[in-house]
Amino acid sequence: MFDFNIVTQWLDTLLMSFLPAWATVLIECVLVALVIITLYAVFAIVMIYMERKVCAWFQCRLGPDRVGPWGLLQVFCDVLKMMTKEIVNFRNTDQLLHHVAPFLVITASMTTFSCLPWNKGAQIIDFNVGVFFFLAISSIGVVGILLAGWSANNKYSLIGAMRSGAQIISYELSIGMIMLAMICLTGTMSFSEICQQQENLGWNIIRGHVPAVLCFILYLIAGNAECNRGPFDMPEAESELTAGYHTEYSGMDFGYYYLAEYMNLFICAGIAATIFLGGWAAPLVPGWEQWNHIMLYVPGAVWFVLKVFFVLMLLLWERWTFPRLRIDQLLTLEWKYMLPMTMTLLVVMALCVSFGFVWN
Amino acid sequence: MENKSYFSGLFSGIKSLCTGLKVTGRELFTKKVTERYPENRKTNELPERFRGVLVMPHNEKNEHKCIGCGICEMQCPNGTIKVESEMVEVDGKKKKQLVRYIYDHGCCMYCMLCTRACPQGAITFAPEYECAVFSREALIMQLNQPDSKCEEKPAPAKPAVAPKPAAAAAESQPVAGNATPDAAPAAPAADSAADEKMAKLMAAAKKAADNAAAEKVAAEEAAAKAAAAPDDAELKAAAEEAAAKATKLATAAENFAKKVAEAQQ
Amino acid sequence: MESFEIMFIVLTAMIALGSIATVLTKSIVRAVTYLLLVLLGTAGLYFLMGYTFLGSVQTMVYAGGVIVLFVFAVLLTSAKEDKLSENTLLKNIGAAVIALVGLGIFMTILCLHGFDVAALTSPDETIMPMTTIGKNMLSTNHEGYLLPFEAVSVLLLACIVGGLVIARKR
Repeated sequence: MFDFNIVTQWLDTLLMSFLPAWATVLIECVLVALVIITLYAVFAIVMIYMERKVCAWFQCRLGPDRVGPWGLLQVFCDVLKMMTKEIVNFRNTDQLLHHVAPFLVITASMTTFSCLPWNKGAQIIDFNVGVFFFLAISSIGVVGILLAGWSANNKYSLIGAMRSGAQIISYELSIGMIMLAMICLTGTMSFSEICQQQENLGWNIIRGHVPAVLCFILYLIAGNAECNRGPFDMPEAESELTAGYHTEYSGMDFGYYYLAEYMNLFICAGIAATIFLGGWAAPLVPGWEQWNHIMLYVPGAVWFVLKVFFVLMLLLWERWTFPRLRIDQLLTLEWKYMLPMTMTLLVVMALCVSFGFVWN
Repeated sequence: MENKSYFSGLFSGIKSLCTGLKVTGRELFTKKVTERYPENRKTNELPERFRGVLVMPHNEKNEHKCIGCGICEMQCPNGTIKVESEMVEVDGKKKKQLVRYIYDHGCCMYCMLCTRACPQGAITFAPEYECAVFSREALIMQLNQPDSKCEEKPAPAKPAVAPKPAAAAAESQPVAGNATPDAAPAAPAADSAADEKMAKLMAAAKKAADNAAAEKVAAEEAAAKAAAAPDDAELKAAAEEAAAKATKLATAAENFAKKVAEAQQ
Repeated sequence: MESFEIMFIVLTAMIALGSIATVLTKSIVRAVTYLLLVLLGTAGLYFLMGYTFLGSVQTMVYAGGVIVLFVFAVLLTSAKEDKLSENTLLKNIGAAVIALVGLGIFMTILCLHGFDVAALTSPDETIMPMTTIGKNMLSTNHEGYLLPFEAVSVLLLACIVGGLVIARKR
């Protein structure tokens, strides 16, 4: 397995050889930031294109195919349009908060994005409490959404923001419980260690068998809710709230919400791929030496991206199948069904681990 | 959901969700139905019943079926149709003949009342769709082709006061004439083919009844017109004619319905 | 100047300016937003010192929990009442006393312990693995943190009650 540490170490020593320490750190930080922003933009474009195409396929349509071959340039045109649009300012709104809110959302999204383990050694933020940090940072996005709804001075925005806040806070509980259950299994909170462990011992979804599979399914449901996506897209139920909390945004301010929504979906899928499907770990089968030998030649980043897109397909399948829930049904689902289930699963997983009912 | 207990509700919910996922999952791999319009304009075919534009079919001899009765014009809620007709002498008899059939496509709301009311089946809707033009005037079109004339009817039974209604009655129920002899022996057999025939027969009977009803309405309208202008001989004659036609049609429909009922037993 | 010193200056400036802005602004929602900046800056200081767990807790509990509850409370009050009430003399004196007491406590601690620059040089986070943190957290030993850990939940409860009090129908 290719270890990305070689590249970063080489770069670090190269810069250190002729630059002072602070300049090295500065240059490395700028480089890392550039890499994050580039990856963020590239994957957002891929995701938007994928969403449109896959949604069309699920509805027996073809999807965009007019702009460029197979409609490939459609997203670029949309981005161009969004960037050149006027940013409208309204009277009687809190201008400062109105323009700060999208940045809070995008910051939370980008910070969680940099928690993803792309390859062995290619991870931007890797704490010993990585999973916990991920949960903590992702909750800042809610503040951005609530501020957006309040500062627009518009009742639709406000109702949308309130719904979104209630929904995200509620479903965060389920996500937290599921993550706790999986941490029970792995015994570590660091994303890199979780991946390394899965390369050595096998994927968590197989190691944890029944409770892990159930956790995975519940995670897919809670993840869609956490990203404010259908069937849980109450905050932007367009038939009743026009566009929810981002009704009053235009131009790139709206673009940030759009971007953040798609990238949150990507992050959600990325975390699922890391925690359940082994992250960058190749699919190794004990005993099949030839197979394992070939699989190890494929870089970890390829495996990671493949797994992320697999989970994304599942999430899109869910999103384009079910009708939108009413807000009370949505909260009922979380508090009366999902939360008891995830709590039970946490206990079951803890019992499984303590009595050794895991496949190693 | 309220009547079910927590767990049975949960499991039935999960089951229905899985059904939904199965449906969309299958949809993902089915052939896509999108029509790639500008490219496929040569091959694209709309459903037969699509209401694109009103047309008057002409046969190869440049003949149409319109007798210029104007029922369609009366039926149209929007005043889309203008029927211009004249009385001509044919073999010493006065006969109404269509001169121009004007249809304003811009006013049409595609309700199809005109084609339903037409006793001759002379007009129908064609599945055309590229109807956009640059002026409103271009939307007003004449449906009968130049120099076209009304299709000659098969020889009328008797040269009485109302030769046309008889012919019309005979013609408007071609299904009835053909289907009755076939259906009557087939009815006792209770197989599916017979059922299908019976359904067809009943539909035909209903159509005949509808025709009769439409005719009755037209007759009443004609009568009202005649009453408004008592000294106009032509209108009076037209009203009588229409009334006679309506009665004939109604009797035919009744007879037909009776036959159907017999066949059913 | 070392890179961590630059970061320290940036973060402390953020905290100081955020704190001043929080008390100077007239709008409750803006005050809450500036407070978020202060709390995130504090979390940043923890991360700078390598206390990743503490930093995450700070973000989660304050930025994630309290701010959201605050914003909820503000949203639930009507738009006309989101301006702070006028300052009276009594209020000013009270605020001054509290501020002075706070400054006194802070200066005392600073004088007793000195400004430990070494704490800023990020300690290796791997010396404190997650399992150790967890065991200390739930232990009732001399170095255990079970009581403070439980006290955190009381804080959240207080926030919920506070939110309800503000939001209740008048």
